[in-house]
Amino acid sequence: MLERSIQAVATYDAGAEAPALTRDRLKGRFPPGSTRRMTQLGLLVGATLEDLPPGEADTLVYASSRGETRALEAYLDSFPGASPTLFQTSIHPSSIQQDLVVRQRRVAEVFPLAGGDALVAQALAVALVAPAARSLVCGGEERGTWLHDLGLSSDRSFAFALALVRADAAGPAAVIGRVRLERTAEGGGLGLGAWFDLLHGRQKFAGAVGAGWRLDLSWC
Amino acid sequence: MRPKPVLGRAGGDAVPLALLPGQELDEVFPPRWLAEVTRLVAEGPGGGWGESRRPVFVTGSNFGVGGMYAYRKEGVVEHLGWANPGACVEHLRIACGWGPDVTICSHACVSAHLGLLQAARMLEAGLADEALVLSFDFLSPFVTGGFHALKILNGGMPAPFAERDTGAIGLGDGAGYAVLSPDRGDWVLLAQSLHNEMHHVTGNRPDGSGFDACLAPLAAAAGGRRLWLKGHGTGTLEAGRLEAGAFGRAFPGAPLVGWKGSLGHTLGSCGLVELAIAIEALREGRTPGTVGSAGPTVTESVRLEAFANGDFDGVVCASNAFGGAHAGLVLGHA
Repeated sequence: MLERSIQAVATYDAGAEAPALTRDRLKGRFPPGSTRRMTQLGLLVGATLEDLPPGEADTLVYASSRGETRALEAYLDSFPGASPTLFQTSIHPSSIQQDLVVRQRRVAEVFPLAGGDALVAQALAVALVAPAARSLVCGGEERGTWLHDLGLSSDRSFAFALALVRADAAGPAAVIGRVRLERTAEGGGLGLGAWFDLLHGRQKFAGAVGAGWRLDLSWC
Repeated sequence: MRPKPVLGRAGGDAVPLALLPGQELDEVFPPRWLAEVTRLVAEGPGGGWGESRRPVFVTGSNFGVGGMYAYRKEGVVEHLGWANPGACVEHLRIACGWGPDVTICSHACVSAHLGLLQAARMLEAGLADEALVLSFDFLSPFVTGGFHALKILNGGMPAPFAERDTGAIGLGDGAGYAVLSPDRGDWVLLAQSLHNEMHHVTGNRPDGSGFDACLAPLAAAAGGRRLWLKGHGTGTLEAGRLEAGAFGRAFPGAPLVGWKGSLGHTLGSCGLVELAIAIEALREGRTPGTVGSAGPTVTESVRLEAFANGDFDGVVCASNAFGGAHAGLVLGHA
C-alpha cells in the first residue's frame, strides 16, 4: 500500500465563468503584468499553486484530460497563419509552465499526465512512488467554446492542488488528511471533475478508481 | 529527411520532414499512427500488457491532435474521436489488447523519459513485475505549422552542434518502446534525471544551469565509467551551445553526438527512438556521428563522424523540451 499525509489543499471552482472574469479576479495573485497571455486554466492552476508553492526538490504531478482547451481552439483557428504563442500555449502542460515561468520557479521533477477515468489514480500513483519528501498533485480543466459544443471539453473550469508528504516528513499539526492507494481487482474509475469535487468539499472517499487501484481519501 | 510543404496539401514553405515511407503529412482517417504503432507493438513486446503487474506507460506530445486540425479544416467529424490523449490511447489500448493500467505521460519532448522513470519506480517499489514504455509522435500540420511559426522549422536543414549563423530543425515521425524488468535484459538504466528550469517557455537560462542540474546526478552515478554522449541536439543554436557546454563540464572529454540531422526531431518519442539507436550502436560497437553537421562545431567534443565504441562502458542520453525541461539517463551493460 502507498500512503501519504495531506499537508495542504487548494481548489478553485470557476464553473462556467468567462476567462476575462477569471483573469480579473485572480490577477492580483500573480506578478504584475504577467497574466495578459495566461490561459484560464493557467490562472486557475497558478492560483492553487500559489497557496502551496512547489519547491525545487518537490515532485510536481499535473493531471488534465483536455488541457488548454481555449488556446487549442484559438490555435486551430489561427491557421493558415499559425500563431506561435498559441502553439506554445496549447501544448500540454502549458498551464503549469505558464505559472512556474512567471514566478521563475524551478522544479526538478514535473510529471504531466493525461487520460480519462483512471487519471486520478495514475496521478496519485506517480506522486506516491516518487522518492521526494513532498509531492504536489495539481491539475484541472477548462471549459471550451466550440470544442464544448462538440462534447470535447469540460463543461466547467476548475483547478486543484494537493501537497502530499511522507508520514515521517510531516509534523502532526501539519496533517489535514491522508491518501492511501493500493492494488485491487475491482473495476472502477474516478474522473478529474469528481476528484475536484471531493477535494473542494473535503469529502471522504473509498473505492476503486481505475487502472487496478483503490483509493482511500480521508480528512482529519 | 526531405523538404515538404509545411501544411501538407494546404501548401506553405518547404521544410525538412522525415515522414515514414509512403506517408503524407495530412491526417487521414483512421489515423496513420494507429496501424504503425500496433504493428510495432505486435512485432516487439507482444501482448499481456496493461494488467496491474505489467503496466503500460504511453508517452508522446501530440496524441492524435492532428485530427483536430483535420476536423477544423475539412469538417470530417470522425477525426474528433481520436484527437485527444485519452481517446487516442484508448483506441490504441483496444487495438493492442491491453488491460486498463495504461498511464499517459505528456511533457513535450522529454515525454519518453518520464515514462522510463515512472516505469522504473514502479518496478523498484515492487508494484510491477515488468513495464512497457511506448512512445510515439507522428507529424501533422498542427505541429509542423507551430514549429514553423516559431521560425525554427524554417526550411534550413538541421546541423546539430554546428557553429553557423542561423539554426534550423527538422521534424520526423517516431515511435519506439522499451520493456523494463528488474532482473533480466542486456542493458541497465544506471541513473535517470529530470530538471525543469521554468525560466522561459521556449528558452533556457543563459548560464546553462538547467542543463547542469540535470546532468550532475548522471555524472555522479556514472562513477569512473567511460561514456559517450547522445545529446538532444535539434539544430537550434543557443540550446546546442548550452547543451554541449554542460556536457563538457559534466563529462569532460567524452564524445558528443546528435542524430536529429538524420531522423528529424521526433518530439515526445525522441527519448525512446534515440535510446533504441544508442543500444543498437552499443551492440554493433559503432556510434553514428552527428549527421548533417560539418565543422566548425560548438565544442571540440562534438563528433561528426562515426566512431568505434568498444572501449566505452555505456552512453548518456539526454532530451530537452519547452519550459526548459531536461531529462537524461545513463545506460550501461547489464
